Amino acid sequence: MTVALPQPDATPALAREHSPVLAFEGFEARYPFATAAAVGPVDLAMRAGERVLLLGPSGSGKSTLLLALTGLVPQAVPAQTQGGVRLFGVSVAGCRPSDWAGRVGQFFQDADQTLCGMRVEDEIAFALENLAWPEPQIHAAVKKALAAVGLPETVRRRRTATLSGGEKQLVALAATIAVEPQLLVADEPTASLSPSSSRRFRDLLSNWPLEGTALIVDHRLDGLVDVVDRVIVLGDDGLVLADGPPRVVFRRQRAALDARGIWTPLAAALDHELDAVDLAAQTMPLTVEEALDELDARGLDGKESGRARAALTAFVDRHAPPPARAASDAPLVVRLEAAACAPFLGPVVLSEVDLDMRAGEVVGLLGANGAGKSTLGFALAGLLRLKAGRRVGAMGSVSFQNPEAQFSAGSIAAEIEAALASADDAASLPGQAARILRDWDLERLASRHPFELSQGEKRRLALACLAADERARLVVLDEPLAGLDRRGAAMVEEAVAGYVRAGRAVAIVTHDMDFALRMCPRCLILGQGRVLADGPTVTLMRDRPLMELAKLEPPRIVPALDWLERHA
Amino acid sequence: MMLSWLHPLPKLLVALAFLLASILVFDLVFQIALSLGIILVLIVFERVPVWKVLLLCVPFALFGFGFLTTSLLFRQEAGVALDASGQSLWHALPFSAGLTLFFRAVAGGLVSMAFALTTDPGQLVRALMARRLMPPRFAYALFSALELVPDLAGAANEIRLARAMRTGRPPRRIPGPVEIGALVVPLLAFAVRRAGRAAIAMEARGLAAGGARTIINLPRFSWRDAIFVGMAGLLLAMLIAGARTGWGVPVSAGAG
Repeated sequence: MTVALPQPDATPALAREHSPVLAFEGFEARYPFATAAAVGPVDLAMRAGERVLLLGPSGSGKSTLLLALTGLVPQAVPAQTQGGVRLFGVSVAGCRPSDWAGRVGQFFQDADQTLCGMRVEDEIAFALENLAWPEPQIHAAVKKALAAVGLPETVRRRRTATLSGGEKQLVALAATIAVEPQLLVADEPTASLSPSSSRRFRDLLSNWPLEGTALIVDHRLDGLVDVVDRVIVLGDDGLVLADGPPRVVFRRQRAALDARGIWTPLAAALDHELDAVDLAAQTMPLTVEEALDELDARGLDGKESGRARAALTAFVDRHAPPPARAASDAPLVVRLEAAACAPFLGPVVLSEVDLDMRAGEVVGLLGANGAGKSTLGFALAGLLRLKAGRRVGAMGSVSFQNPEAQFSAGSIAAEIEAALASADDAASLPGQAARILRDWDLERLASRHPFELSQGEKRRLALACLAADERARLVVLDEPLAGLDRRGAAMVEEAVAGYVRAGRAVAIVTHDMDFALRMCPRCLILGQGRVLADGPTVTLMRDRPLMELAKLEPPRIVPALDWLERHA
Repeated sequence: MMLSWLHPLPKLLVALAFLLASILVFDLVFQIALSLGIILVLIVFERVPVWKVLLLCVPFALFGFGFLTTSLLFRQEAGVALDASGQSLWHALPFSAGLTLFFRAVAGGLVSMAFALTTDPGQLVRALMARRLMPPRFAYALFSALELVPDLAGAANEIRLARAMRTGRPPRRIPGPVEIGALVVPLLAFAVRRAGRAAIAMEARGLAAGGARTIINLPRFSWRDAIFVGMAGLLLAMLIAGARTGWGVPVSAGAG
């Protein structure tokens, strides 16, 4: 049913034919009480049909820029702004953010910020209802959007609050694309998505209508860089550091990006290794497969083949070193026997789980969205009661997928001090707090309120609090890389190495298969309500039928491992 | 006929009529009949488990119990109040006024409970919007608030788990009063944050004052609604008539 209410008083004027779809003109934003600008001044423009990847370290103002795009900053989120933003040739300052809903699909960093707290079907239909689409078209669009993101029809009536983090992200994505926007704006759309769901997003982007424009912010570059036309990099100071085609930016600026802790695709590292032995391709490849195909197509002679092998070996050693296994006679930290695990107020999602974790062991918990990875993590830590079976071992610590749930103090420094105090280490508290703030690069933010931070900074704070409390023998990290830049990811890897040295057991819930391969000698593959496999990560990840059964994808580095085997 | 099959608006109308009657008709039999009738409908027709109905009755019973104890403590004043209301069937009982007040609280609570248990809040909000009884911005704010209630349980659980981690002790199965008290401020902060984010999300997705809008999955009126309103009206009229005539029992003399 369409209800005709009084007509709106302001709608954006029609776009001028040749004006850029989006233009930031000397735009700068500063939040209340902040000493420095969150972003800018930024000058950049996007043409119709462009697909742009916006990169930058955590806290560089990427999300602020996206919020300013339709005027949510400063109209809904208070901020002092300078310069201007034009969408489809029209200044956004003269329009309401809601006026752009038909042309701009916005996917926010936190899925809860995109969703309005309704049922799945209502969430996806919401923008279409606001735009007064006819009811049959809305039903068709909801169905199409669900299919596009790979969600089954059975979720239609479920409340979004009952979904897993990854499933929520898929619903938010479906709600964003349902309006078939002319400009898609997505802030970390794949942060909590399983590899197969990330691939769906990639397919969605590569099949995006030619005249459609997309602006994506993401830290997981592999699988995205080959479907974008342009990369824009923001520096720590919120200014544009690099702007150009991905093949050019990642080859010319790789060192600068590495130095600033900004992610580059895995292929850029391989390109660098091949360049060191004079075997780099003329243009930089964007995937490991592309680099290896080009290498094979050259018809390498004996000497070149040896140099290529050396480069590939160095690349694999750097990015997937064989992790050290824990001794099999190390003390037992936690044991689950025939455990049935269920989330809070939810049904059993995993049954008959048998698992031993020993001191110094790092175990990956892998599976598709909704497979029960987080639930198993909480059950392992003893924070979730089992529905059946038995758990043996002391309580563990968990870094929550939603870091906000862990914050209770008024400042970052106070949060760290509270974590240290709970560890009964009051005597050396100030020195310890300073060290942790330094280790997690939070010193300059120490006086800020935890909820004022960017998503990546919140994640770092939650992980820093976990590192401060050294009592737990088991540490569970739930999606520790979500929202983190490369520097943050390196901090996580260093922390995990520290836990192992201290003889603590670590369980890592992650969708980043390369990270799991690098960090976890052993992993559990979850799916179909049970543990599908438990064994050495490198073996399980190269088991294609198992990966397909679990709706997972092998790590991006696997083609390099295969190449080395073929050319051994 | 299942109450959950009905259109929310006639059901709301009937619920309001019963609620009004439970407030105005000061008669013990009326209140007991109303309470039992609703319990019967919920258990037999709506298949709500008995334990759930009884559990949900607890807050209303506690509220009513306050009236009962007050009337026992101040019996004389209560008798005067009962005389003034013209009811006499149970007047011989020393706590009749308290009982009536007790069952009035329970009956009123049961009417609201029956409506809440058998009505999809989304459908209600949609029906109100479609009839222009509520503007969309207010309706979606209300809808979001209704959906927030169950989410608070999840947020409370996360906060409890984080605290358990800090103390190094597993969380208790049921939180104690001190723990519940300590959750109030963080949950309030969660609700405020959530409301802010929902407002931004709704704005970004085109919710604005004015303009045409489509409302999907709108509940439709059917013959069932007419039958329900007719039957409920008749039942209420019979109950009121029964209460007014003293249920056909000879009227006793007033308390002396």
